Amino acid sequence: MTILTFEQFTELLQLLPVQRAVFAILIASVAMPIVGVFIVGLNIMSVRFAMMHVALLGIAIGLLLGLDPTLCGLVLCALAGAATAPLAGRPAGLSGPHGFLMTMAIAAALFVLSLSGVNANGAFELLWGSILATRNSDVVMIAVISLLVLGLYVWQRRSLGLLLFDREIALCSGVNVERLTLILLVVIALAVAASVRLTGALLVDSITLLPALGARNLGTSLSSCVRWAIVLAVVGNLLGFVLTLFFNQPPGPMLVLTVGGLTLLTYLKHRSP
Amino acid sequence: MSLQLVNVSCWHGKMCVVSEVSFHIAAGEHVALVGGNGSGKSTLMRSILGLHRAYHGQILLHGKADVPRADLHDRFRSIAYMPQRQTTGHFPLLVRELLASSRQLAASQLAAERLNVWQLAARPLHTLSGGQLQRVFLARAIGMLAGEAKLLLADEPTAALDFGGQAEIAQVLADLPVATLVITHDRAVMSRCDRVFEMAGGCLREV
Ligand SMILES: Nc1ncnc2c1ncn2[C@@H]1O[C@H](COP(=O)(O)OP(=O)(O)O)[C@@H](O)[C@H]1O
Ligand SMILES: [Mg+2]
Repeated sequence: MTILTFEQFTELLQLLPVQRAVFAILIASVAMPIVGVFIVGLNIMSVRFAMMHVALLGIAIGLLLGLDPTLCGLVLCALAGAATAPLAGRPAGLSGPHGFLMTMAIAAALFVLSLSGVNANGAFELLWGSILATRNSDVVMIAVISLLVLGLYVWQRRSLGLLLFDREIALCSGVNVERLTLILLVVIALAVAASVRLTGALLVDSITLLPALGARNLGTSLSSCVRWAIVLAVVGNLLGFVLTLFFNQPPGPMLVLTVGGLTLLTYLKHRSP
Repeated sequence: MSLQLVNVSCWHGKMCVVSEVSFHIAAGEHVALVGGNGSGKSTLMRSILGLHRAYHGQILLHGKADVPRADLHDRFRSIAYMPQRQTTGHFPLLVRELLASSRQLAASQLAAERLNVWQLAARPLHTLSGGQLQRVFLARAIGMLAGEAKLLLADEPTAALDFGGQAEIAQVLADLPVATLVITHDRAVMSRCDRVFEMAGGCLREV
């Protein structure tokens, strides 16, 4: 393992791909932890795996039809998120439908890929980005979706707090629960797909789920959970990225381990609602 | 606001738990609903509210018939509800936030002060005792009644309270000037109501 000197480190920071990566991490670390809080609050961890595979199917369809694969992936994820919304109120939850969706999507994706004669690995590469290979279009995409997430949170904070607390209490308070659930599931699906494209499948957790899990131990309300999640994500991911550069290691494991370490620390503060 | 039921039957799957229930509660009238465990009281109340959709018959609020599913959230705003299952949710929520969900925070706060729970406003709900929780839900309901809501549905609102608390809350409920249907096993509540309905085997009769 080689360790950089401080001079080498500052030189690295001058490079455009590195700057773009830092910028993308910063944007994503502010908005995506909110999505993580939604996922934890709705108790739908399974949504990640489902949407990753639906995105793959979208990419495959894009390749077959000659359309923009990333865009096709996002659209299909949004549709899949919307399709699961009517099932969200059931006591059994969404993990069953998500499992079904995942299996069907991967099977359909492989089928479509074989139709179009594309090597499956090519499609996987399109799906699983790497933060250091971020393109400008990826930054734009993550910025747009981040704005969507922040906008939804600011616009509907009270209703979201009630919905994540208890669906029936939200209903009894006059919240349009069906509409809000639909919007939430579409935004979550889009955010997961975009994050996978930006950072790769592993890193998605370091900007969404891990900070949210940590925040759940520290926060006492939706607002404080969101604040904590953002703090954990920004601090953890930037620190992880600095360590990545210093130790000249691949970013994925390093960022996840750093944010995961912070998350682990939050469990020391025993408080589970 | 008045409440009228015409031949209402409620189902859980293929099981009919409430059959052909009819009654009328006039504006300002207080009615207690009693009956053994599992006799269908909560299911009937949840059907009136719109939380339970598997029912036949007519439920008229202020003479107006059932609303389509899409407009349900308007009906929820016109009814103040105290749930039996004192949920503490699966995600943290502050007492103050629950009180604010009445859309009448000032009125809810006043009620919470009177019920001696406003000092808990900054606490997450899952840290409250059962009795404190019921007082907070009552304060929320009173807040809603200060706004659009003109009907109170309360499902065992004094079940988690001590004896002194039961009498206190029973009096607070009795003083509310709105149509009230309250499920209860509590004599303090029952004795302050204008009428008492009893559910048995899914059927309802006035006692
Ligand atoms: N979610 C449910 N699914 C199936 N059966 C239910 C459900 N909730 C209640 N029941 C059944 O319906 C009957 C009436 O329940 P409920 O209305 O809660 O009674 P009560 O409030 O009078 O104690 C009971 O036999 C109960 O087991
Ligand atoms: Mg009951």
